[in-house]
Amino acid sequence: MASLYSAPVLSTPETHIFEDPTTLIAPSLSPRYTDAEIYTIYEVERTAQEITTSGWRTVALQFPDSMLRDATRVFEALENTLAELRANKLNHDGAFASSPSVKQLDSQHKLCILGDTSYGACCVDEIAAEHADAEVVVHYGRSCLSPTARLPVIYVFTSRPLDLDNVIQSFESTYKERGKEEKIVLVADIVYNSHISEVSAKLKELGWSNLLAPEVIHDPASLLPNRKIEVTTEELKDYSVFHISDPPPALLLTLNSRVKDLQTYATSFPAAQQTNSAMTLRRRYALLTSLSTNPIFGILINTLSVRNYLETVTTVKEMIEKAGKKSYTFVVGKVNAAKIANFSEIGGWVVIGCWESSLIESTEFYRPIVTPFELQLTLQGDSERIWGGEWRGYFGHLDALVIKAPVSEEETIDVEVNGDKIVPLEADEDSEEESAPPEYDLRTGRYVSHSRPLRTAAQSMPTAGAKSTEDSTQTLVRRAKMDLATVNGVVSPGAEYLKTQRTWTGLGSDFQDVETSQDIEEGRSGIARGYTVRDNERT
Amino acid sequence: MVNFTIQEVRALMDKACNVRNMSVIAHVDHGKSTLTDSLLSKAGIISAAKAGDARATDTRADEQERGITIKSTAISLYGNLTDDDDIKDIDQKTDGRDFLINLIDSPGHVDFSSEVTAALRVTDGALVVVDTIEGVCVQTETVLRQALGERIKPVVIINKVDRALLELQVSKEDLYQSFSRTIESVNVVISTYFDKSLGDVQVYPYKGTVAFGSGLHGWAFTIRQFAQRYAKKFGVDRKKMMERLWGDNYFNPHTKKWTNKGTHEGKELERAFNQFILDPIFRIFAAVMNFKKDEVNTLLEKLSIKLSPDDKEKEGKQLLKVVMRTFLPAADALMEMMILHLPSPVTAQKYRAETLYEGPPDDEACIGIRDCDPKAPLMLYVSKMVPTSDKGRFYAFGRVFAGTVRSGLKVRIQGPNYTPGKKEDLFIKAIQRTVLMMGGKVDPIDDVPAGNILGLVGIDQFLLKSGTLTTSETAHNLKVMKFSVSPVVQRSVEVKNAQDLPKLVEGLKRLSKSDPCVLTFINESGEHVVAGAGELHLEICLKDLEEDHAGVPLRISDPVVAYRETVTAKSSITALSKSPNKHNRLYMIAEPLGEEVSNEIEAGKITPRDDFKARARVLADDHGWDVTDARKIWCFGPDTNGANLLVDQTKAVQYLSEIKDSCISGFQWATGSGPIAEEPMRSCRFNIMDVTLHADSIHRGTGQLMPTTRRVLYASALLAEPGLLEPIFLVEIQVPENAMGGVYGVLTRRRGHVFGEEQRPGTPLFTIKAYLPVMESFGFNADLRSHTGGQAFPQSVFDHWEILPGGSPIDATTKNGVIVQELRKRKGIKVEVPDVSNVNPLHVPLCNHILTFVLSTTTSYKRIVSFLIDFFKLRCTSVATRHVTSGSQISRPFHAMITNHGPVASLV
Ligand SMILES: Nc1nc2c(ncn2[C@@H]2O[C@H](COP(=O)(O)OP(=O)(O)O)[C@@H](O)[C@H]2O)c(=O)[nH]1
Ligand SMILES: [Mg+2]
Repeated sequence: MASLYSAPVLSTPETHIFEDPTTLIAPSLSPRYTDAEIYTIYEVERTAQEITTSGWRTVALQFPDSMLRDATRVFEALENTLAELRANKLNHDGAFASSPSVKQLDSQHKLCILGDTSYGACCVDEIAAEHADAEVVVHYGRSCLSPTARLPVIYVFTSRPLDLDNVIQSFESTYKERGKEEKIVLVADIVYNSHISEVSAKLKELGWSNLLAPEVIHDPASLLPNRKIEVTTEELKDYSVFHISDPPPALLLTLNSRVKDLQTYATSFPAAQQTNSAMTLRRRYALLTSLSTNPIFGILINTLSVRNYLETVTTVKEMIEKAGKKSYTFVVGKVNAAKIANFSEIGGWVVIGCWESSLIESTEFYRPIVTPFELQLTLQGDSERIWGGEWRGYFGHLDALVIKAPVSEEETIDVEVNGDKIVPLEADEDSEEESAPPEYDLRTGRYVSHSRPLRTAAQSMPTAGAKSTEDSTQTLVRRAKMDLATVNGVVSPGAEYLKTQRTWTGLGSDFQDVETSQDIEEGRSGIARGYTVRDNERT
Repeated sequence: MVNFTIQEVRALMDKACNVRNMSVIAHVDHGKSTLTDSLLSKAGIISAAKAGDARATDTRADEQERGITIKSTAISLYGNLTDDDDIKDIDQKTDGRDFLINLIDSPGHVDFSSEVTAALRVTDGALVVVDTIEGVCVQTETVLRQALGERIKPVVIINKVDRALLELQVSKEDLYQSFSRTIESVNVVISTYFDKSLGDVQVYPYKGTVAFGSGLHGWAFTIRQFAQRYAKKFGVDRKKMMERLWGDNYFNPHTKKWTNKGTHEGKELERAFNQFILDPIFRIFAAVMNFKKDEVNTLLEKLSIKLSPDDKEKEGKQLLKVVMRTFLPAADALMEMMILHLPSPVTAQKYRAETLYEGPPDDEACIGIRDCDPKAPLMLYVSKMVPTSDKGRFYAFGRVFAGTVRSGLKVRIQGPNYTPGKKEDLFIKAIQRTVLMMGGKVDPIDDVPAGNILGLVGIDQFLLKSGTLTTSETAHNLKVMKFSVSPVVQRSVEVKNAQDLPKLVEGLKRLSKSDPCVLTFINESGEHVVAGAGELHLEICLKDLEEDHAGVPLRISDPVVAYRETVTAKSSITALSKSPNKHNRLYMIAEPLGEEVSNEIEAGKITPRDDFKARARVLADDHGWDVTDARKIWCFGPDTNGANLLVDQTKAVQYLSEIKDSCISGFQWATGSGPIAEEPMRSCRFNIMDVTLHADSIHRGTGQLMPTTRRVLYASALLAEPGLLEPIFLVEIQVPENAMGGVYGVLTRRRGHVFGEEQRPGTPLFTIKAYLPVMESFGFNADLRSHTGGQAFPQSVFDHWEILPGGSPIDATTKNGVIVQELRKRKGIKVEVPDVSNVNPLHVPLCNHILTFVLSTTTSYKRIVSFLIDFFKLRCTSVATRHVTSGSQISRPFHAMITNHGPVASLV
């Protein structure tokens, strides 16, 4: 081993064998669907009907990565069905079946497949659809049901088969001990939702009287996200949730404090590792408190289609600024560790995306990523923050909460002597500003200075407005010893980072102590016929 | 008590050469607080207005209840030398006869030694108290070592001499022998930590640096005092007399001559110490305790001891106390010893400046400290925070090393992470108030010059525990204190009622401030953790938290220990990771850093702030490093100062400096939470062997390299026989012989490892030294008590980290594997440790079997194959074939062949 001072040539084959931090969707191992299955699973008939009824002509089909392999066949099936429908309609309308205009009509439905969704597969990619001038998007697979802003959407949940007897058996054994009076909400993941009514009817027959089977609605902010439920918050606390298929982590966390408990009927085998939502919540708490002293936030836009996302970006920006911290906004497409790690000046991220995909739980990320709801708690300050297990994925209601920035305690201690209070002396009349005290970082148990760069900057630059009347080109305002990096007169913690934290600041910065090259000597000059060398000699 | 106005105290402060700052240090229960009390009642300075209500240094209710000191407390004493001889004997500059002595009583229990460290920092001398009967114990040794490390000069008092006389009834010679053994043990410790600049600081009774006495009875003496009495009688020089009163010196009554032979004409002579010093004391004890009134009176007359009529009426122990206290007042002996032999700030700062200050020895700050100059720029060290009566606010307790601090002065507050020229951890603030802190009380004072100890009001928000205050813009920090204890025992707390969370959080902040060593933080699984040095320390902290700082009901978890992740061998092969875009590669080898280097880093002897050339020299000379490697240490981690190193061993790699920042970030990240269980790493050295980078800078950005660095570090660590380190206590147990069996039983059951057993000469007591894993130490004290009938007294202090025995932590079938899984479960992370193929998938050398397809029969292929076998210790199966097709197609036909082959390599 001793001789091993450089990497052995053979240590790694050339081929791409390294894990990409972005998790790839494993190609589905299940056998291909038959044509008939394609028709039923992808609800071709219904889709075509809806398209024709509303008179849409250009249609975008959005598939999650795992279903892309069926895309062309769905496309074909849909095209055929649409053509049939058109033909039927024509036949129905009159005897122009063989007229030349059929050809024209034929080309009137333009379908296209959206290949690479920019963000989560659960969100409708309106932007991509708009590029294709689509009038409607057909969204296949799991959906987060976030309200969209621009385009109408046809949701095809691609229902999967479910062994109903097994579900009922599992349900009964789960709640046997609690008795048939137990209050239970029956929820299924979107792709199994079609079975809900049947399951609930069977269970009611079996005598489970307090059973709710809420309908699907498009409202992630609902008490039970995306489900219509007619009980109050308080009442819901008495209900258990029986969830068919593994709930997404965001739902687990949301429900944790809202319902009595949650049981899962696993549909995938082996069953996905049961995540302990109390534990996950605790880790979220660690994450969000670790950002309380972070001066620079990155706002990560992870959706372009959820309604109100722009307002939310503004609200989040304001929240951050009010806390005296700096924010930068980023749009990076699908989030992965490598992209995010490029911005090492950012101490923490807040994701604005649909309610399901905002929860990014991974240890691969260099800096914590939190949701707007969590950010709110982070910025709230240690003296206000209460963590009782409540969690929300959806970013609505943000503006309702006002962030109270902690006031720096500037009171003084009175020293008591002989029972009399001694009034502290006035500080020296000195031109230099006093510093704001550091903040206690809960995560590490240390003091952190400069956790609110904008606040300190505002303090030490009170005359910024007044100065503008003077020479406006003089943008860099110098203050004694404590000058902060500014860009066009605005304090820039990012530039400050570059100035102070990075050792490599660009080409040449690493060659500072290389000895200077030789002196320049004057060479020959003139034309080829006779050059002039130094002493005007001609050669 | 001495009644002084603040102005009078202030006047004493000006003469820095007449100031003595000292701490009282000792093993628990050796009598520090009692001794301090006896000094306080005689010479304590209290403000005139408060005269009358005496108070001890144990100011907290639980301190008085438990009878132990928890927080160190400062008091001030006034000393006045009336005798010209005494003044002459001071071998440093003095100015007048008045002396101001600032004395800090510190806790003796190991769990609170961080308080001792904080006390030592602001003092120059130490009064080491040793129990006559118990002798030098663990904590005596620990604090003495700490003192010497800070260049603190010690003097010793051998305490509880009364017990030797009353309880053990020893003979004079036995007592002398016991004294001299104790002094010898102290000197052994001192000489072990010999420091050139401090010179010889061993203690010698004949030089007056050792006193003997009883704090409880309020008496003590030094040989110098007796020498003074006898010098006149014998007409000898006092110095000579001192030497004769210790050691093998005898006065032969027959020849009336001094000799160093113990016999005269076959008859035993009595040692001078016994004859002239112990004899009168023994006689007083005998006479008083045997109620021989007449004899007592003769003795009193002979020794010219005058008692008040009231006192004369007393009997037994009461009378004994009065007589001894009048005969040999403890305050006199101790004050004399401290004033004569301990350095003033002026003397001490000359040699302490360089160890105190982080900056260059010739800048204005360092020169100011060296000269103890009250006119120099201010240099003040805040060593701890003391709670005020106002909840949540603290006095900053510290010492002025240079300059003068006054109320209203605007200062630069430099926290422990401040580096000159940077803004981090630097604050500007006016001091609201300067105060004198004496016992539990404070008095405002206008200003305090260099060399004195004080409290500050109004800067507590800027410093968590300690820091530097200065008025010089170029000043570096005063060195951050290093504690001998580490917060290795953790408990998590949670509120019973969610609404109380803000109060808990506030309480944790306050707790962290109020104790120099305790850590409070939120771990990655979202628990609020309090970490302390030991069970007792934690218990006190949590009690304070619940009752005082937070004031809300809490749920407290069982104690757990903090682990560290490490490597135990060199990576079996070079780990390689490619960046996500596959364009950049990092090659890394992990190896153990070595315990010595790790300890030096943790002790602050090798630091990231050192000059890199000097550091390389140390690493090369003392730790066998290659100098060129040692010069290319990129960083320390985690937290930029931990005991893991990233070393650049690449040769001529282009663009390397461009990716350095990214690698360092990845390194800090990886070492802060390791691959096995997200615990911090320790004692690993990572060598970057080679780097290949994409020529275009857009493809070698931070995003590509930082996560890659982390992965390659993980991979190299997992390839280097990773292990978990657990903290180990050093326990010292004092126990009588008959109860030793119980001690051994308890230790064995708890994976303890006994490495020393010694009998204290002249007693039935044994001292057992053992290493005990911290994990096994919970409930140890109670267990020990019940198995020894309460006769064993243990002291545990964190000593070192040790590999957790029980197999590889990455193998789920071993004991350690199970521990790791538990740990991961507790943290709410995926239970399985990522194996290397996970971090670094399909690394060829990780397979144990290679299938080599031989396309031709050149001879060189044999060399390649045998290289593979030798180098990677792999099984190798070569298959001659005409066509090699890709992927799964080939593997299937040959699969059966390989499995059938067994372990033998076969070459076709
Ligand atoms: N007999 C005797 N007991 C003493 C003497 N000094 C202290 N003690 C006792 O030893 C115990 C511990 O004393 P303390 O001053 O609290 O020790 P500390 O832990 O070093 O501060 C107390 O019970 C004291 O009464 C002494 O000189 N003689
Ligand atoms: Mg004490």
